[in-house]
Amino acid sequence: MAEPAAPLPLAGLRVFELSIAIAAPNCGRYLAHYGAEVFKVESPKNPDVARLFASSWARGRPELAPVLLDTSPYCSEMSAGKLSIALDLKHPRGLEAGRMLIAACDIFLTNYSAPAVRALGLDYEAVRAVRPDIVYVALPGFGSDPSLPYYNYLAWGPNQAPLVGLDNLTGFPDQPPCGVAAIAPPDYCSSLHGTVAVLAALEHRDATGEGTFVDVSQFEATVALLGPYVFEHSLTGRVQDRTGNRGPGAAPEGVYPSRGDDAWLAITVTDDAEWAALGRVAGSPAWAADARFATHDARLKHLDEIDELLAAWTAAYTASELAAWLQEAGVAAYPVLDNFSLVADPQVRDRRFYQVRRSSRFGRDLFTGHPMHFSETPGDVDRAGPILGEDTEPVLRDVCGYGDDEIASLIEAQAAFGPPLPELVLTRPYDGDLPAFIPGLGREDRRNR
Amino acid sequence: MTGPLAGKRILDLSGLAGAYGTMLLAALGAEVVLVEPPTGNGLRKLPPFVPGAGGPESSLWFMWLGQGKRSVVLDLATDDGTSGLRKLYSTADAVVETAAPGTFEALGLGYEEAHRTSPGLSWVSVTPFGQTGPRRNWKGSNLIAWAASGILYQTGFMDKPPATPGGPVQLACHVAALNAASAVLLALRGRRASGRGQYVDISLQEAALAIAPEAGVPLSLDDGVHRQRSGNRRQAQRPFGLYPAADGWVSLLAVQPGHWTATAKWIAEVTGNDSLLDESFQNPAVRFQAGEYVDACMEEVTRPSSKLDLCVEGQRRGIPVTPVNTIADLRSDPHLAASGYFEETEHPVAGRFTRPGPPFRDNHGWWSLGRAPLLGEHTAELLS
Repeated sequence: MAEPAAPLPLAGLRVFELSIAIAAPNCGRYLAHYGAEVFKVESPKNPDVARLFASSWARGRPELAPVLLDTSPYCSEMSAGKLSIALDLKHPRGLEAGRMLIAACDIFLTNYSAPAVRALGLDYEAVRAVRPDIVYVALPGFGSDPSLPYYNYLAWGPNQAPLVGLDNLTGFPDQPPCGVAAIAPPDYCSSLHGTVAVLAALEHRDATGEGTFVDVSQFEATVALLGPYVFEHSLTGRVQDRTGNRGPGAAPEGVYPSRGDDAWLAITVTDDAEWAALGRVAGSPAWAADARFATHDARLKHLDEIDELLAAWTAAYTASELAAWLQEAGVAAYPVLDNFSLVADPQVRDRRFYQVRRSSRFGRDLFTGHPMHFSETPGDVDRAGPILGEDTEPVLRDVCGYGDDEIASLIEAQAAFGPPLPELVLTRPYDGDLPAFIPGLGREDRRNR
Repeated sequence: MTGPLAGKRILDLSGLAGAYGTMLLAALGAEVVLVEPPTGNGLRKLPPFVPGAGGPESSLWFMWLGQGKRSVVLDLATDDGTSGLRKLYSTADAVVETAAPGTFEALGLGYEEAHRTSPGLSWVSVTPFGQTGPRRNWKGSNLIAWAASGILYQTGFMDKPPATPGGPVQLACHVAALNAASAVLLALRGRRASGRGQYVDISLQEAALAIAPEAGVPLSLDDGVHRQRSGNRRQAQRPFGLYPAADGWVSLLAVQPGHWTATAKWIAEVTGNDSLLDESFQNPAVRFQAGEYVDACMEEVTRPSSKLDLCVEGQRRGIPVTPVNTIADLRSDPHLAASGYFEETEHPVAGRFTRPGPPFRDNHGWWSLGRAPLLGEHTAELLS
């Protein structure tokens, strides 16, 4: 007899998510993935910046103007599995509806700036008055304490990695810092710490009935990851500088040119056995037997020379073949993938990393998958990102207990909003190619298997 | 107040890709038992080291990531070792490890085996590429995870090789470890409903991929842009990126119209050059076209001043400016100083030194993190 599927760990929990960009939305995505009902509360009057990054193919097409805020790929990337409730929280009746919703929620999640949250009347004290046992997790850039110097500072995502020390450590020692321009690690560090904080606070609530306020300052949450270099500076005054691609405990480690245009191979060697194996793969050239490179400590003194020798070897072969040979011999190596080759990566394909789910705006939509895989309670979401306001009416009715007349009145007053042009279904320009990129997805499928 | 995880026991057999996560669990009250081989956990060998010290207590990496944990030495090549580990399994709520797939199974000490006698035990594995797939046995590292995520390709200057985001910080490993911490908590929560523990498979490659959306596949498919390294100035907007100051660099961006108006005014006031006040520069596309000129004007403002002065003045004018901080800068940062972020702490070998404070603050005072253990410090106590 088959055992019933175990319920998802967060099933039955509800989240009020007041969020923009990445930090809070990504945390909310994790919660939705494990069964929580996540209400992303947003307004077309002051949309999430993620929605403002509308698809370039949709701009300049007047017929799409009313639905532009649904086109950004970030809608699904950040909010797959969530419900969208469109309220103007600056409108007294919108705020009232928001409070009704909070009363029904277990978790309040926000990364609005602390001043903005306060101005809306949705800081911890105000929310706790509505729901005493709320788990309230704030993820502002500089924390929620108004007495601190940067409390009112403007900091967008790209300002944070420089602030928290990551940019200075990215690049080569003889060059200016290149910075972490492509992605926003501090946002994700904040988000992931927020997820741990939510889960810990839920433990506390289950044991005591008590709610919690957690303040995750993005600044502090990311500096927290610099441990050994803070210790070192306090003990010796040494200031850790950029190292290119070299990490502690490896010799050699780096990114080497391979055959092709802008094609590179990453290699990490952590012990003498791996070094010897690498030498054999390279055809046992003279440098593989050079006594100056025989031990880890010895190699540490000659890294520049070793890197030059390796580069002369790798340049003749493709990154793919080099990686295969080296891994076969037990050496960590991988091509430096661009997005085009990423889609074809055998692990990415085999493990179905990218996901497709039904989308009210697109029929189906593609988004980044999830890195944890549970044996008994594998997380999942049943939809891609929502249309802005897709769920306003059903949630106001079923969760807040509003009648149809009340809801109509709220919408008329522009305190609440339904979805714009809900029957308009668009198609992403690459939709026809999706089955080629996504294993287990047929032409008509809305969900990959 | 004792943390919310008080009473939970986590067995930690992890390296870089798990250790930060188990440290968080320790700080929140869990008893984290680090199971080490006689030669010590691999982190004990990572530089930098306490100057003049040698041996297993001198690595600053271990001094950091070992905080709050207890140390039990077991030699898994011996019967005593394997039976000791089995005994620990029977008392634990979860195991976190980062060994190559199959390692524990080969010793008869894997999840399936442990789960038979301890059905409540959960197990979190972090590996370079996960437990399944054609490359599950491939070796990895922080660098390899970035390479396999598409992000490394986009980081750096075009005339140099790609560069690891965060460099020696081992950031991808900590991202995976943060996932592992959540995995433990989710598994514990799930156990309350089902009565059973479960196995969680985490891939370092996927953990890095999960923080890639801004640079990633869905975005690139949608806009058709082939994303490459663009150095420390952004495409499509100027000024946007890192600008040289007298004592280093600042990060400055003009994303909203108000930011640009304020920036043009600042440039005019400082340099006397008011050409950028012209209305045409309000259009971001025009500013990008004239990027070299805009950047040069910006640099005339930033080069003569210190990072902190530029930030105070820029922020005063409503422009998003932050300093490009070094480790030294962070230790004297006014905001972190005012919040008391850095703490004095002590270690038997290192003596007194400074550590970063908690990554978040709660209103119950949960965070509590003792020092890293000496090798085998708690073996006798925990295995008696």
